[in-house]
Amino acid sequence: MTTPHLNVRNLSAGYGRARVLFDIDLTVHPGTIACVMGRNGVGKTTLLNTIAGLITPTTGTITHTGTDITTLAPHQRTRRGIAYAPQGHDTFAPLTVAENLHVAHQATRRNRPDLIDAALERFPRLKPLLGRKAGLLSGGQAQQLAIARALVTDPDLLILDEPTEGIQPNIVAEIETAITDTAAQGITVLLVEQYLDVALRLADTITVIDAGRVIHTGPRTELTHRSAHALMAI
Amino acid sequence: MDAIISQLPTGLAIGAVLLLAALGLNFTFGQMGVINMAHGELIMTGAYTAYVLHAWIGLNPAYSLLIALPVAFTITGTLGWLLELSIIRHFYARPLDTLLLTFGIGMILQQAARDTFGAPNVDVPAPAWLTGGLTLTDGIRIHYSRLFILALTIACVIAIAHYLNRSRQGRQMRAVIHNRDLAAITGINTRKVDATTFFIGSGLAGIAGVALTLIGPTGPTLGTNYIVDAFLVVVVGGLGQLRGTVLAAFTLGILNATVEAWADASLAKLIVFATIVAFLQARPQGLFTVKTRALT
Ligand SMILES: Nc1ncnc2c1ncn2[C@@H]1O[C@H](COP(=O)(O)OP(=O)(O)OP(=O)(O)O)[C@@H](O)[C@H]1O
Ligand SMILES: [Mg+2]
Repeated sequence: MTTPHLNVRNLSAGYGRARVLFDIDLTVHPGTIACVMGRNGVGKTTLLNTIAGLITPTTGTITHTGTDITTLAPHQRTRRGIAYAPQGHDTFAPLTVAENLHVAHQATRRNRPDLIDAALERFPRLKPLLGRKAGLLSGGQAQQLAIARALVTDPDLLILDEPTEGIQPNIVAEIETAITDTAAQGITVLLVEQYLDVALRLADTITVIDAGRVIHTGPRTELTHRSAHALMAI
Repeated sequence: MDAIISQLPTGLAIGAVLLLAALGLNFTFGQMGVINMAHGELIMTGAYTAYVLHAWIGLNPAYSLLIALPVAFTITGTLGWLLELSIIRHFYARPLDTLLLTFGIGMILQQAARDTFGAPNVDVPAPAWLTGGLTLTDGIRIHYSRLFILALTIACVIAIAHYLNRSRQGRQMRAVIHNRDLAAITGINTRKVDATTFFIGSGLAGIAGVALTLIGPTGPTLGTNYIVDAFLVVVVGGLGQLRGTVLAAFTLGILNATVEAWADASLAKLIVFATIVAFLQARPQGLFTVKTRALT
């Protein structure tokens, strides 16, 4: 068995006294698309924020390509190759689209300007908007910028939190294509997705969380629409 | 209207001083939200730096002013940086504690100045090339030293705008200020950016201090005379908005000069203050704010 790309063991986390995650185990193998699902408020974003380093876990470990990163600062994780586009397609609103991409690319000190060109090829809709302040973008444009910003940090692991939430169908299709293309390029993807259809189309493995605990994990092929619905409806 | 035009040079000069004092706060208060009450004492430190270079080290007044600018920037920048590193960073979520602590630190710095330089004011001679003035029409004269401050202020504003908008570090600074968590997961070392922001903001206080030696004597309480006005300029301008800070400083400067032309100084201060309060009632966010879709 190869070293998992991302390995989360016994992870518990929360906000102050409120515990949200309990003993989460999650393994993501290199080059796969792993999808985390679950109803609203079960702790999916909390899990991703903990993996990204924004929340300190109370117990458990996180390893990235075999190295324990549990105590690394968020920017150190990003520089190691973990890119994260959080829920709600946040951008640096006062910065232009181009500045959003440059600030991310330069922060990781990879010096690969070709990544910016590649990200713009991936999301051609951003090209005419380069000079526009990111705060003025539509939701769909902002989501594309958020993923592009993650990609220009030269990641080996891309974490996306509900990239299709509240976005019109034709842009959802473009984002899906971007995710499959990214994975085809060898970048591992960890995806939180609410829409079962999207998850069943994209994912290699599916993990279902309920009330802060993993209640199912396995290859997508084990799940049918019906069994997935049953899991999500608990 | 005539009154405003005749007072324009004085107003611009006052505005330039206000702006210079406020530029540093635009970083530490406007952008980072830290109420650093010791900022006035950093200005004072800058002024004494100019004094030390001339009176202790014996630099020729002809160029000691020009040397004092970068030296003061470095000294007060380092002081501010140490302050951030040792104290302020532990209190980012607690503005009231920060206010009280930095107020105390300001007192300590004032006392240190008193112990080192004595309580009476000292003078820093202006270079010979800044004596005299430019006579405009109708017997309005503007001192070369005021013109120098105006030019220095403009140079600082241009440098800051260039830094924020064109440099790599400036972009990082704006990113961190907008959204700290997002900046961190984008790969930016936010602690380092905080320290840099504080260094620059505090360094600008030093430059303001050097400039103030051109228009009056230097004493331990020099900074306290300017600090309230400087905070007001940043608030009126819209927190962290360079354009707003510039506009607010010159508007307040001109308002001050115009009102002072027909009222006595304390009444003028009251009128200006009342105008600011009225303005902030109508527009609490200040002159400028960041545009986002959510707000428009
Ligand atoms: N900053 C916070 N402080 C306190 N509690 C929080 C905070 N953020 C989230 N929570 C709580 O933690 C729980 C899990 O939230 P989380 O955002 O991880 O859920 P989620 O699965 O991502 O939901 P959604 O599908 O709506 O995005 C919720 O009960 C939420 O109210
Ligand atoms: Mg969520």
